[in-house]
Amino acid sequence: MIRSVIALALVTLFFYECKPTIKKELPLPKLGRFEIVKNGDGVDTVFHQIEDFKFVDQDSNWVTNETFSKGIYIADFFFTTCPDICPKMKAQMLRVYDSIGSEPSLMFLSHTIDPKHDSVAVLKDFSERLGVDGAKWKFVTGDKEVIYKLGQTSYMASIADQGAAGLTHSGRFFLIDKNRHIRGAYNGTDAEEVNVMIGDIKKLLNEN
Amino acid sequence: MKISQLFKLPFIIIGVLIFISSCDYSPEKVKFKRYRVAGERLFEQHCANCHQKNGEGLRGLYPPLAGSDYLKNEFEKSICIIKNGTNDTLTVNGKVYNLPMPSIDLGNIEVAEIVTFVYNSWGNEKGLIDVKEIESLLKSCE
Repeated sequence: MIRSVIALALVTLFFYECKPTIKKELPLPKLGRFEIVKNGDGVDTVFHQIEDFKFVDQDSNWVTNETFSKGIYIADFFFTTCPDICPKMKAQMLRVYDSIGSEPSLMFLSHTIDPKHDSVAVLKDFSERLGVDGAKWKFVTGDKEVIYKLGQTSYMASIADQGAAGLTHSGRFFLIDKNRHIRGAYNGTDAEEVNVMIGDIKKLLNEN
Repeated sequence: MKISQLFKLPFIIIGVLIFISSCDYSPEKVKFKRYRVAGERLFEQHCANCHQKNGEGLRGLYPPLAGSDYLKNEFEKSICIIKNGTNDTLTVNGKVYNLPMPSIDLGNIEVAEIVTFVYNSWGNEKGLIDVKEIESLLKSCE
């Protein structure tokens, strides 16, 4: 009798351990350097933010941080005549655009790193050929130095003009929240990573 | 030999004949397969970024190769473009495409392999395009 009670207790204990644990989902991290600053008696963490910017989009409208302040956006760097990774990135970004682009608080921002060639008219033609909504997906151009500096310091993307060897740039997609924090960086040429990004976008949309 | 076994015999013979005939090792066919397999690998490496793995291109940016009237009607020009790239605008299936196609450093044999792959995929069935044919065609490129 005692043995069967013990056995029953053990079995119960065993299955008790198997109860589904509800994992608390962690919010997406805020990437980049952060600083701890004094705030009254306590301290605050100041996270890395995208600096102020002002560019022109394919419809000759100004595009600034304000353009994206009501929601989240995905940023990348490209140029229209890039033959290697950009088409791959654009195909992947298009997949994102087609799957969750209809979310009202999600936008897309593609910076050209070849402003000499990629004028407003060229960007307009490019976006029309891609068949995307200009209010949703901004293709921007501006001063080359400014674009490169923003890419390097705000997005921490590697971008370089190697002269005769051409322009090289990071193939990453950056997920930015409404407070200008980088919440994710993904290899834009890798379908698997882009799938992860799509999941993270949904997460971030719920956070807002 | 039992009657039932005798009955099976013709089937066995036919089966063996089908098996033998399916192993077609003619040199031409082997060469074609070799070209096509190598061509597919090269295609994925050099072409699929823009034209996509399925050959459908990307929207209005990069023209399709699958079901492309340009490939069908402009065989010689297509080969020159694969070898040398182009900055011209091209009209494919009634749509105008204007992005440049870069020239990549391909040997003639690699061009022949890519051409054989492209011209024998997605419904195209042109057969083997030999490197010798490619060499003579490339001479007439502008």
